[in-house]
Amino acid sequence: MTLLAALFSHYRRHPLQLLALAAMIVLATMLWTGVHHLTSQARASLDQSESAVAERQQIARQDGKPLTVEDFVELRRAGLCVMPWWEVPSRQGGRVVGIDPLAAGCFESPDSEEAPWQGELDGRPFIDISEAAKLAGKNEGGLTLLISDPHIDGALPEGYRLAPFRVGPDTGELGDSFLLNLDALGVLVLLITALLVRSVYLLGMAQRRDSFALLHRFGVPQARINRLLVVEILLLALLCIVPGIWLGRWLATGLGSGFGRALEGLFDQPLYAGQGGNWLVPLATMLTVVLVACLADFLRPWARAFAGSSRRSGGLVVLVLIAGLALSAWVTDLLWLFIAVALVFVAAGILAPRLIAWLADWRSGHDRNLQARWRHREVSVLARRLALPLVALQFAMAMVLPVQALVTTFESTFDRWLAQRLEADYYIEVPESADATLAVDWLAEQPELAASGLWHRVIRGRATLPGNGDEAGTEVDVFAIGPVGPLVTDWQLLESASRPWQRLQQGQGVMVNEQLARRQNVQVGQSLEVTLGSGSFEFPVLATYPDYGRPAGEILIHPSVLPEDFATGFQSLSVSPGNLDVEEVTGGLKRVWQVDELTVRDNRAIEELATAIFDQTFLLTRAMTTLTLILAAIALLMMGWVFFSTRAWYFRLLVVWGLSVRQASAQLIRLSVSLTAAITLLALPLGIWLTWVLVHRINPIAFGWSLPMAVYPRFWLELGVLSLLIGLSIGLLMMRQLKSPTVAPVNANALAGGER
Amino acid sequence: MVDSLLSARGLNKQFRSGNEPVPVLRGLSLDLERGQSLALTGRSGSGKSTLLNILCGLEKPDSGGVQVLGETFDARSTEAESKSERRWGTLRRQQIGVVFQEANLMPALSLLDNVRFRARLAGQSEDGCQDWLERLGIGELADRYPDQVSGGQRQRAALAMVFAMKPALILADEPTGSLDRHTAEAVIGQLFELQARQGCGLILATHDPELAARCSQHLDLGHVPQS
Amino acid sequence: MRRWILMLSIVVLAGCSESQQEAGFAGLAGVAENDAEVPFLQPGPGDRLIFPDDFGPHPQHRIEWWYLTANLRTEEGEPLGLQWTQFRQAITPRPADAEPPEAADWPLEAAWMAHAAVSFDARHYFAEKLARGDVGHAGAQAQPLAVWLDDWQLEATSESESWRLQVAADGWSYDLSLSINGKPVAHGDNGFSAKSADGEGSMYFSLVDLHIEGTVTLGNETLEVAGKGWFDREWSSQFLKSGQQGWDWFALHLESGDKLMAFQLREEDGGFRSGTWIPEDGEPVALQPSQLRIRPEEPDARGFPRLWRLEVPDYGVSLEISAPPGNYLNDGLYPYWESPVTVAGSHSGEGYMELTGYGDRTLSAYSTAVAPIRWMLRSAPLNSSSSVRRSPEMALITP
Repeated sequence: MTLLAALFSHYRRHPLQLLALAAMIVLATMLWTGVHHLTSQARASLDQSESAVAERQQIARQDGKPLTVEDFVELRRAGLCVMPWWEVPSRQGGRVVGIDPLAAGCFESPDSEEAPWQGELDGRPFIDISEAAKLAGKNEGGLTLLISDPHIDGALPEGYRLAPFRVGPDTGELGDSFLLNLDALGVLVLLITALLVRSVYLLGMAQRRDSFALLHRFGVPQARINRLLVVEILLLALLCIVPGIWLGRWLATGLGSGFGRALEGLFDQPLYAGQGGNWLVPLATMLTVVLVACLADFLRPWARAFAGSSRRSGGLVVLVLIAGLALSAWVTDLLWLFIAVALVFVAAGILAPRLIAWLADWRSGHDRNLQARWRHREVSVLARRLALPLVALQFAMAMVLPVQALVTTFESTFDRWLAQRLEADYYIEVPESADATLAVDWLAEQPELAASGLWHRVIRGRATLPGNGDEAGTEVDVFAIGPVGPLVTDWQLLESASRPWQRLQQGQGVMVNEQLARRQNVQVGQSLEVTLGSGSFEFPVLATYPDYGRPAGEILIHPSVLPEDFATGFQSLSVSPGNLDVEEVTGGLKRVWQVDELTVRDNRAIEELATAIFDQTFLLTRAMTTLTLILAAIALLMMGWVFFSTRAWYFRLLVVWGLSVRQASAQLIRLSVSLTAAITLLALPLGIWLTWVLVHRINPIAFGWSLPMAVYPRFWLELGVLSLLIGLSIGLLMMRQLKSPTVAPVNANALAGGER
Repeated sequence: MVDSLLSARGLNKQFRSGNEPVPVLRGLSLDLERGQSLALTGRSGSGKSTLLNILCGLEKPDSGGVQVLGETFDARSTEAESKSERRWGTLRRQQIGVVFQEANLMPALSLLDNVRFRARLAGQSEDGCQDWLERLGIGELADRYPDQVSGGQRQRAALAMVFAMKPALILADEPTGSLDRHTAEAVIGQLFELQARQGCGLILATHDPELAARCSQHLDLGHVPQS
Repeated sequence: MRRWILMLSIVVLAGCSESQQEAGFAGLAGVAENDAEVPFLQPGPGDRLIFPDDFGPHPQHRIEWWYLTANLRTEEGEPLGLQWTQFRQAITPRPADAEPPEAADWPLEAAWMAHAAVSFDARHYFAEKLARGDVGHAGAQAQPLAVWLDDWQLEATSESESWRLQVAADGWSYDLSLSINGKPVAHGDNGFSAKSADGEGSMYFSLVDLHIEGTVTLGNETLEVAGKGWFDREWSSQFLKSGQQGWDWFALHLESGDKLMAFQLREEDGGFRSGTWIPEDGEPVALQPSQLRIRPEEPDARGFPRLWRLEVPDYGVSLEISAPPGNYLNDGLYPYWESPVTVAGSHSGEGYMELTGYGDRTLSAYSTAVAPIRWMLRSAPLNSSSSVRRSPEMALITP
């Protein structure tokens, strides 16, 4: 029998342990690879779309007039590679970009990657410019000419100048924020999986210590045993990581399609398929994680810190925790913030089991009830012995908490916003030939509608906010609504002056969306200069309203304010007919407009669609965190079971001493539930703190804006139930062992379950 | 038999080794009266521990009956298992003290807490617990934990636990098997002394013929005619 | 880009399927009835050339091109080959006298493609440009002649019978003046040039005697050049026939003063040959398939035969045609071979050669199915209905 075979014989004796270790490595790899694959894919597509338009320059007329096709022709004939970019409101809402793929031919990306418009022109968001021209109708303006060479300034024909071109900074930020959160989750997943792998590995190692001692006594040098152990774990890691990566990619592909749609739907960012990340990064990462997790003790004695428990280091850890918390509150740099988070997590991880043990010991010392005292002492032992899987569970819960909070906050905000926007039951497109004012008059005469006020006319178009000095003016969407009625007055406003809706109705001001307010630093109460049609107007800003899902700036205005020559991009009527049949409304409008067909859309259907798309966005996040949680729970279950088995003899003493099996089991269940409850309680502050860091620190530092922060105690309750279930499961597994006679341990060492 | 503490009749027990049934006890009977001691001897695997487990209800015989402290248990009884378990539990909690070769103490509790825990389970006062430790010569170790004292001291603590519950019957399964001879002598001496003083019954499973000789009865499972 | 073009080709193919019923002038009758159903016109025997109108565009034909090849020499006497071509492809046919659509609508009724190439010192420079029609940055007109795409342009100058051609690509350019000698040569039957035995064909005429001089700039080097040019005009509404694999075309200036144009459309069993013998004195003669032998020698590594044998026994012509060393693939959206050639044998001389449908599998399959250049901007066998299908994408282009 070779030395390796002798070493490995342990796993022949305990195949389940080997299986557990292998499964842990496979699952950990799968989880992290899946996350990594998706984030890198999403990042690549975001980067690609952004870089394609990031440093672009556009051409503007020096006389400030809007560009036309004649300008395009003149510039092209002068030998300049310019390409048209025409943003128009789409019929489905939102905006699409009309481009001329033939003219884009000279826009070769330097890195030979495809530019975003080089795919199919399927309206997401690119369409052929002739289509855009149809959508724009008679609406002049909005045409942008991009130039491929940004350094051509001198060679520009007379009458033109260069201006910076941005698609809209919020798009990238929203996507980046999403990805940054995914990245942070990825790192946490890595940490948790490392803890789990380590805990399972250490369990086996502890049981093999006697064999190692024996081999050592037989004259095998310790260094040789260590080398063989490295080889062993390396082989095992390689064997498990490869299928893990494969599974991870499978997971990513499965979720990816939904994820891709979500990104597209939310951020106008197409997620390109077929960008297969490489195998090397996950392989190297997971190999490192597994090796470090398993062999840390060979490398650095301090890695034992997790298991160790000297009082002196306890004080140090508390200092680290305080330092981390202080840093997280004060630093203004993203890197330092991540360091702070790492410090807090490390300190929390080391402290949590010790704190549980300490509290249990303390309670044990103060409890008159001897059974309770015994139980507290047992909890203390468990907390120390199961430190690693417990910490993993704590981290997993601490991760789930902010994810859930962020997702729920975002969802509820979005849902509310969507519901407000789609308040009316139907919306009816005004045909190009039709006069909307006729319809407005007709609707106003309908007694039911007049009574409820549940209808309004919507006009969409474009306006310009004057630029500063050299900068081109900013194009914004115009959203004109009138009459201002109960369909809109329920909108939640982020900030408002007094009587905003009345004043809007009277044409005494405008409202701006959040994006515009943030980007242009527009405050409620200040006055905003707007170019509508050929005229320039100044309006007081009455309110800012939330506007999600697209980056464009927008002003809300009353139609009566729009000048005669305002180019209407799109017109519709929003109607909630109430008791009136929608057929009556459409019938009446057809008569008024003298048309045969009307485009009528059911807003409930749109709302459902939008909600469905939004749900998809967080499918991945939810799936990922849930999987991590399950993995951590399984690890704790497994470790708990193994540990309890070593201690089964002592639990059986309870039966010997006259407790019935049921009474003894009840004690065990109380024991395991106390433990999981304790770690859940400790996970809560960590999770809430992490939510706070993500919402109020990382997002503002990284992106300059933040979501509202909310905590969801109901979800804490759900976590509590989960921890109860894990505790119950451990207890139930133990009951099985109580019933069968166990062999008495020959000595009271730790392996025999005799630790205190 | 008014004075009978324990009476077993026709106990049969067999285990399975693979598919082969291995008989351990075959029609064994025994009687024990108050104040008496019985030594169980026999080579390893002769069924000493099994018999002790059956006599305190931790295992069930395949057939046969046990009458102990006025309670009757019969393998053929139609009594619900939970009910017989409850009766056995009450007996073990209050009247039958069991001492194993090792690991008789809860590792997470101090020696004194272990004794108190056991006394409370038996419905006895905690007051005398420290005294019991003193009597067994380990009074100054009361706050130590099991892993902080020697094997002999642990077994003394185990005896203290048993006596603190004021048992009617003590079942000891090689209680000094893991101790050196000198310590073993001392511990066993204390066991016999206290048993005699309290007038309880004692069944002692042992390999040691000298020890067996100190008991009032001797049952050699290796040679006992089992029908 | 490429995908879009392929998509465009789907649009065009879809158009093909609709145009199958229409034929020749017969369709013209329908024009007035409904604008939306203007048919493509199909050239046929009996069609005549009209000058100078036919130098301008033919918006009711599906495809056409203006095609210049030139055999020039530098001041040092080194040979320099040069090509300029502008293709028009209609997506929607339009009568020649109809108002073009508004440029402001960015119409997509036609697409333009321009190719320019210089072959010098065994190096080959090639550039390609694309544009949509009717917007204004690409177009053509007959009087005064102008054909342009961005800053590439061929224009008549104020002098009579004189044009100027300007091309500026990335790192190289040329600026040439062309003086036209002789009348346009009508190929085939008074300009109707058959492209198959079944009578499909195109309208085709050439200016075969251009004198060219000007400058060619390659990098930092500006070369004074002068020499002969050959200018083709051709238009049709038909693509390659199914079974036609590729296309070999030669335009030769012989030292005897005679000129020769010959081409063959290759098929599994032979194919279709045609040509025009243009004697120095006398009228051009259309060559029947039986009067022509065109045979390649060994193909080179890329599959393009660079050595050819061309015989017109009736006129005592037996020529060895060879391309100079170098790779003359025009590597654009639809790669094809376009190289200057030297002529030996019964006559010596020079000229140009264009080859499609050779090369490696992809290229060959591509060329065969899609891209014989003279016969297409992009095309597929006309009768192959399997390749004619609507895709959902096209609805976005031509809703």
